[in-house]
Amino acid sequence: MSQPSTAQPNVTDKHQSQLARIKNARQAILAELGKLVVGQEEPLEQILIGMFAGGHLMLQGPPGTAKTLAIVSIAKVMNLDFKRIQFTPDLMPSDISGTEILEQDQTTGHRVTKFVQGPVFCNLIMADEINRTPPKTQAALLEVMQERQVTIGGVTHALPKPFYVMATQISMEQEGTYPLPEAQQDRFMLSIMLNYLPDDQEVEVVRQSTSARKVALERVMEGEELIEFVSAVRQVTLPPQIGQFIVDLTSATRPTVAGCPDFVKEYVSWGAGLRASQNLALAAKSAAALDGRGVVVIEDVRKVIVPVLRHRIGLSFRAEVDRVTIEQLIQKIIGITPEPKGT
Amino acid sequence: MSTPSTEPVVQNAVASEANALDAIAAISEGKERIMREVRKVIVGQNQVVEDVVTSFFAGGHCLITGVPGLAKTLLISSLGRALDLKFRRVQFTPDLMPADITGTEVLEEDRTTGSRNMKFRPGPVFTNILLADEINRTPPKTQAALLEAMQEHQVTVSGNTYVLEEPFFVLATQNPIEQEGTYPLPEIQQDRFMFSLIIDYLPKEEELAVVNSTTSINVTDVQTCIDGETLMAYQDIVRQTPVAEPIIRYAVELAGRSRPGEKGAPQFIKDYVSWGASIRGAHYLILGAKARAVLNGRPYVTVQDVQSVASAVLRHRIVTNFRAESEGINSEEIIRRLQETVLPPKSGL
Repeated sequence: MSQPSTAQPNVTDKHQSQLARIKNARQAILAELGKLVVGQEEPLEQILIGMFAGGHLMLQGPPGTAKTLAIVSIAKVMNLDFKRIQFTPDLMPSDISGTEILEQDQTTGHRVTKFVQGPVFCNLIMADEINRTPPKTQAALLEVMQERQVTIGGVTHALPKPFYVMATQISMEQEGTYPLPEAQQDRFMLSIMLNYLPDDQEVEVVRQSTSARKVALERVMEGEELIEFVSAVRQVTLPPQIGQFIVDLTSATRPTVAGCPDFVKEYVSWGAGLRASQNLALAAKSAAALDGRGVVVIEDVRKVIVPVLRHRIGLSFRAEVDRVTIEQLIQKIIGITPEPKGT
Repeated sequence: MSTPSTEPVVQNAVASEANALDAIAAISEGKERIMREVRKVIVGQNQVVEDVVTSFFAGGHCLITGVPGLAKTLLISSLGRALDLKFRRVQFTPDLMPADITGTEVLEEDRTTGSRNMKFRPGPVFTNILLADEINRTPPKTQAALLEAMQEHQVTVSGNTYVLEEPFFVLATQNPIEQEGTYPLPEIQQDRFMFSLIIDYLPKEEELAVVNSTTSINVTDVQTCIDGETLMAYQDIVRQTPVAEPIIRYAVELAGRSRPGEKGAPQFIKDYVSWGASIRGAHYLILGAKARAVLNGRPYVTVQDVQSVASAVLRHRIVTNFRAESEGINSEEIIRRLQETVLPPKSGL
């Protein structure tokens, strides 16, 4: 198939200037967000990696960790049309995608069906607490995510571009949740974890949020630019030995594949699929581009391994008994995967 | 009925034989083109692609078992484009209802008369290729609605019958890893699928090739090779392919010997199998073999054609018992032993 080729000089020049713009955009976005969001540097960085790679994101973490604030702020600084849906147990697929209504034509008196767009017709939709809604409604959102279009009554309506879904999940232990099947979790590029802040940062949050100061976020880029940037990210070169490292890593998570390590057989009930490898490569390219580079280095991959793999590996019952967390397991797999030489 | 004289019939037979040979050449060339187009976007999975194409030419449905994220949707939608067929995907969920598949009736007003009528809104089943993703996540009534459409190529809603578009193929996937909260398809319903295919992880070097091609900007487009109407004409030619009697007997015996209750069942079948292949098993062995032969440009069926589809046809039709499970013997192994036990006809065709 296609090889990471050395492109013609003029293409490279254009790509170089795009990469420079991406790097500037990253700094400008993070500077703006820093006005409002305290801490959470790593998750914010991961959100940008995901968005510049054109992926949909899953945000996880306890309540009050600035998930909504981060997403709303990003939509503002990137000038994206933003909508939010609170997922509830009684939400229906048409509440997301839209519905046809009967409308009377005022001049003729005839009734015609008219499509009323649902909240997915926007650039960035926040699907809050997606696991509180029954499976059919979840599936409706995931279908829209994948196909970037809505088909109702036999008519297909395309969504605006760019289009991103950012979903949050409440923790699984709570009652009345419908966990997303792993096949559907797989459709999210990254699973990003937001944790409680260290004490001094929390003090800062309380001081800011209770003060009279109003922060106005500046727009630093246009949503349409993202379309160009996503395509520039795809042009970043993935050296063969790093591609090999990615495939070795994903393959090591699969308990049914011959030669997989014993602890994987013991602790993993299902491993990461092909999408994991694809998203590792794409996210690493995005991390490189955000740093203004046209070639992926091993550090770019390292940055994205945990968010790419976190929701793509199923732990066994044994792992639960032995209190092995998914993060520990991923670290262990990274530990045994030979690093590419010369990087 | 008229009684035609024998002469024109013979002439027709000769003419149609020549036509059939041309058509078979065209089919095998068409298949090569389809495979070339699909390989532009799909790396590896040769066996699965070959089997799905075979089922299309035989007019059968496929059951596909494999973990998520192996590009099943891409594979099937690419095949749809290569054959200029409409493609729809439905994610099966525990709360999916039969009407979500077949369609519903809605009240609509007639513009000219102002009277209101029920109008049928076709569901996603009104397509050429339906990918029924994770079919075992949905309750039996909804599964049954799909299986009825598969069998009869029509759906009935509120007493009205609506005929599906032709050709119509269902490719249903089952996810093998999570069994909690799933509704496994009953054997009788699995029997309606011509082939049961297994899709597995790619070898590392192929996975790397996929990663390289799908994360760059080169988007290859699949070209249309043949259209749906031609495909249906080709299906007729597949069915017209003659099969020698000993080969039919061989297929019948392969299916028959897998039944533990039947006379002459080998000991390992009695020991390990609780349910053997039905008459549909033999039917699809022959139909699959005919398609294989024609796709390879041959106007006759060989023993190898039957053997090459045996796993895909029999895998879901042979149900192993508890003893087999405890000794680690799966239906794949049973099929292998069955092929060793049942001897092919001597002619060696």
